[in-house]
Amino acid sequence: MEKAKKRQFGIIATIVLAAVIVLGLMWATATAKKNQEHQDTLARVEKLGRIVWGVKADTKLFGLMDTKTGVSKGFDVDIAKALTVQLSKQTGVPMSAEFVPVSSSSKIQLLKNTNIDGTVSTMTITPEREKIIDFTKQYFDAGQSILVKKDSGIKSIKDMNDSKYTIIVVVGTTAAEETKKFAPKAKLLAVQDYATGMQALKAGQGQAMSTDNAILYGFATENPDYQIVGGTFTHGPYGIAFDNDQGPMIRETNKALATLKKNGVYNKLIKKWFSNVPGLDWHELEAK
Amino acid sequence: MSMIEFKNVEKYYGNFHALKNINLEIDEGETVVLIGPSGSGKSTLIRTVNGLEEIQEGQLLVNGFDLHDPKTDINRIRKNVGMVFQHFNLYDNKSTIENIMLAPRLVLKRDEAENKKMAMALLEKVGLADKAANMPSELSGGQKQRVAIARSLAMQPKALLFDEPTSALDPEMIGDVLDVMRDIAKDSSMTMLVVTHEMSFAKAVADRVIFMADGQILEDSSTEAFFNNPTEPRAQQFLSQVEHH
Amino acid sequence: MDLLQNNFSTFLQGFGYTLLSSVIALVVSMILGTFFAILQILPQKWVQKVGNIYVQVFRNIPLLIITFFFFLVVAKVIPMNGFTAGTIALSLYTSAFIAETVRAGILSVNSGQMEGARANGLSFWQAMQHIVLPQAFKIALPSLGNQFINLVKNSSILAFVGGLDLMYQGNMVAANTFDTFGTYIIVALFYLVITLPLSYYMQHLERKLKHAA
Ligand SMILES: Nc1ncnc2c1ncn2[C@@H]1O[C@H](COP(=O)(O)OP(=O)(O)OP(=O)(O)O)[C@@H](O)[C@H]1O
Ligand SMILES: [Mg+2]
Repeated sequence: MEKAKKRQFGIIATIVLAAVIVLGLMWATATAKKNQEHQDTLARVEKLGRIVWGVKADTKLFGLMDTKTGVSKGFDVDIAKALTVQLSKQTGVPMSAEFVPVSSSSKIQLLKNTNIDGTVSTMTITPEREKIIDFTKQYFDAGQSILVKKDSGIKSIKDMNDSKYTIIVVVGTTAAEETKKFAPKAKLLAVQDYATGMQALKAGQGQAMSTDNAILYGFATENPDYQIVGGTFTHGPYGIAFDNDQGPMIRETNKALATLKKNGVYNKLIKKWFSNVPGLDWHELEAK
Repeated sequence: MSMIEFKNVEKYYGNFHALKNINLEIDEGETVVLIGPSGSGKSTLIRTVNGLEEIQEGQLLVNGFDLHDPKTDINRIRKNVGMVFQHFNLYDNKSTIENIMLAPRLVLKRDEAENKKMAMALLEKVGLADKAANMPSELSGGQKQRVAIARSLAMQPKALLFDEPTSALDPEMIGDVLDVMRDIAKDSSMTMLVVTHEMSFAKAVADRVIFMADGQILEDSSTEAFFNNPTEPRAQQFLSQVEHH
Repeated sequence: MDLLQNNFSTFLQGFGYTLLSSVIALVVSMILGTFFAILQILPQKWVQKVGNIYVQVFRNIPLLIITFFFFLVVAKVIPMNGFTAGTIALSLYTSAFIAETVRAGILSVNSGQMEGARANGLSFWQAMQHIVLPQAFKIALPSLGNQFINLVKNSSILAFVGGLDLMYQGNMVAANTFDTFGTYIIVALFYLVITLPLSYYMQHLERKLKHAA
């Protein structure tokens, strides 16, 4: 190629490339906008005859992936199934339940993108989250606690307010924020999921892992060298979450939840999952 | 005193027997030309002298040290034995003058000012003082080879090995290089071992001519004797071929 | 834009750690990579084997696993935080690729260069240092540039072990603001701030060296 032709080719290539990038960005923003447009969740699930639930995959007792079947099992999953059955009855539309594994950091985005319809995933109801998504009434009472090695000498979160301590949390959990308030001097180590957090704790990368007591109980059962100390230092009940402004869906789900609590299904599930956890008085969790 | 001495040397490349029972003595200050047909082992022989090729059997004494002895420090011998290659092997990433100054600086720890002065003098001697700052890629083949010779001389070696120094050159460049070599040969203390097909150079400069074929030395005689009445039939045949060329 | 303003110091801290980790890993992986490249061209067979095993091990294991190995296993013996563990893993992982690149560079330098230097009296290491490696690096420069850019991007592995880097801070900001899309666009722009000048500089270096020869 002669020089002028080469230069021409370069210019054309640059323009084409720039055009592709600009169009791509426009398309991405348009799709993102479209996803944010209001859609009525209840209408959608009734129309499609299925509810896609986001559930945890790494949290024992609530949502833990069975590696053989690839299906999550736990209290959250069973609650979602029971709710789906109850919602079908209430609306008169038969609906099936489907499950998608979500992480602490991804679930809100997945809700917003309508990849999932709702999520039952050990999600604490907080004012900040309420601004952008909708919660039902609480379906599980929880509070933050710490898990430490038995011989560590740490008695409570207050003992850890020292820069020599590192507290392990999971990105996107309320614990990541709350821990700073109770032990401002301690260092934080945020990992992607609970399993890594537990491994990091065992490897000595931190002296405690902090999250909701209910989740920590799962780890304490599996790792007898570790224990929960100091009780709970926050009160943060879990709610079932949907996208913003889902009045009808929230109403129906609250109604369904109340029914489950009344008809004994809820208590049966509490017994199923929490009656064997050492050191936990599971009767306190039952619906009165 | 002998500068280079082969005693019953055998050299193998794997199973291939490249040098067969070589016995050869070259005295200090001698200029010896090594000739023979392609593949006869000339390069192999000359490369054993500075340890670029290992020998498997026999003794090879260079400047009094046995190259076949594992205790011998090969780097010390190379300081005293320079080599000029068919394809020059100049350092492509260094300028002409740096090519000459590098080894004296690193190996002999020669003082920088002194080093530079000597390098310039050598460039002058090979007629390339104006090319000091040029990169090798900017030189012609003949110029490259003259720089390579200057580079070898900068180490002030006792012996110089030349492996077909003019074979890769255009005919009009050959003369300049041979002139430089002739100059060096005049220095009575320099030992030279030269592989070449330039018979006129051999006739004019060599004290002795060695003829090799199939990894063996077939003839080792004075220049006069070799060119006037070679004894070996294969040497006669070889001579008639190159001279009628 | 609010997102960037409100979290600027967080992003900046992450940017700093990403840059620091990348620079350390770049220097260490260049040294290690060159060392193992040379091991593989030495005449002794067993030395070659050692170099080859090193390269195969670190080139063929996912970076995440190497990182977790240092963070979760090695840290039990030698305490180290996520930043250190991640940076070590990144250095070793990248060094295996650099070793291959540099080895290819060395092999494509004409063998006459080494012979000329040895015959001239230089030791093997002197010849390597002054003659062969400079030419090998020049040949390897374009693909070294690729390795460096990959290295910067791969430093996001630190996020998995609390390494405080750009990706880690991005995860935190995304989790707190719930604006995943916007956060990661900002994170991407910060990465470009490192990688674009880097690739421009490598191209510049290439051109400069081409003209020098
Ligand atoms: N590295 C090597 N490995 C195996 N065989 C080799 C090697 N180098 C040379 N040989 C063989 O050894 C023999 C002698 O080679 P050498 O290069 O010494 O010949 P030569 O006399 O210099 O020939 P020419 O005039 O063509 O340069 C040849 O048969 C060659 O094929
Ligand atoms: Mg030859």
